[in-house]
Amino acid sequence: MRGASFFWIVVLGGAIGSGAQEAPYFVTYTHHMEEAGNLEVAVSSTAGVPRSSQPWFVAPYVEVEYGITGRWTTELYLEGQARTGDSAIFTGWRLENRFRPFAREHRINSVLYFEYEGINEGSRILKEVVGNASSFEAPNDQLRNEHAHELETKLILSSTVHDWNVAENFIVEKNLSQNEGFEFGYAIGAYRPLARLASGADCRFCGENFTVGAELYGGLGSTESFGFRDTAHYLGPVVSWQIGDSTALHLSPAIGLTHGSSPLLVRFGYSFELRGLGARVSHWLGGR
Amino acid sequence: MTARAAFLIAALAAIGLAQNIDYRQDSKWRAPESAAVRGNPLAGREDAVAGGRKLFQRHCVECHGADGTGRKKAANLTLPVVQAQPDGVLHWKITNGNPDRGMPSFSRLPELQRWQIVLYLRTFKQP
Repeated sequence: MRGASFFWIVVLGGAIGSGAQEAPYFVTYTHHMEEAGNLEVAVSSTAGVPRSSQPWFVAPYVEVEYGITGRWTTELYLEGQARTGDSAIFTGWRLENRFRPFAREHRINSVLYFEYEGINEGSRILKEVVGNASSFEAPNDQLRNEHAHELETKLILSSTVHDWNVAENFIVEKNLSQNEGFEFGYAIGAYRPLARLASGADCRFCGENFTVGAELYGGLGSTESFGFRDTAHYLGPVVSWQIGDSTALHLSPAIGLTHGSSPLLVRFGYSFELRGLGARVSHWLGGR
Repeated sequence: MTARAAFLIAALAAIGLAQNIDYRQDSKWRAPESAAVRGNPLAGREDAVAGGRKLFQRHCVECHGADGTGRKKAANLTLPVVQAQPDGVLHWKITNGNPDRGMPSFSRLPELQRWQIVLYLRTFKQP
């Protein structure tokens, strides 16, 4: 009953405000930036079914994304993690910035991505998969004390091809707390809306409110052991449902492709966009 | 002056101020010739206008206003300087945006939905 009430609050909440069509990816980035002055808040989780004898985990995280300009988007993450038979812990924060060097649409559009992570080894949101597969056997009490300060960069390439978005991300990460060399990873995705034409009806289940696709992501080792050996890779469908003008639900069950991967990851998220926030704040502060 | 007349004048002044009647085009925001000559594949499709209206309300109203007259620095879409532009130019501008001047790119929308928005923009044309 309580769950049903929450569902309808979420669905009806979508009737407020106005927003934009969302990419359904969880890991892959496209060239579409947050609109200048808009704030998007998303609550997501990554739930994992690990290999036998390891506990299940769920890693919730909050994203606050803001369009500083039309070509500069900044985003703050706060994340946690809980495991069956273990504790729930706060696993840290991330601050990312994306810059789009070219204003116009091209056949291939590029975005530069820079992120600083102040996390611990308990982090399992898996916003990117880099380096070699890591074991997840130590208890949370131990993992929470192993801090990692990491710098991450991505080259994001993204194209629009016959209503499909096709995006490729190349990732380089450096752990400043340990000598692991530079770690590499990738993410590739493609999606399209279910309907090419928008219907005139005011409907929640129209095809234009759904985007579907797939994404593939994984690690490529590091400067110390480059390649696919002992790496984790995931492949899964992605679905996004634009519930209302400003809210969307996202879902992606992904299967692990290698022994180093969790057999199954289930990702889900809910996002809400506040449009024109920057202009309103500026107005309140007496700006024009 | 009666209170009703004062209110009417104030209301008209507010409407006038809300409209972006001073809109000036960005001279650097020009569609290439290849885009400008493209025709709207949905031209004459009256059934597609309602979908265009829905898309406009979802993506454009925040800046351009429900009546298209423009808020903040956004274009007043009812002005001849906008309505005189070919469909292909408007489609190109919706697709590419002008991010340095506040107009986002809507390339994330399917091609036909962008044409639907162009179709709906034509309903703002003043006789």
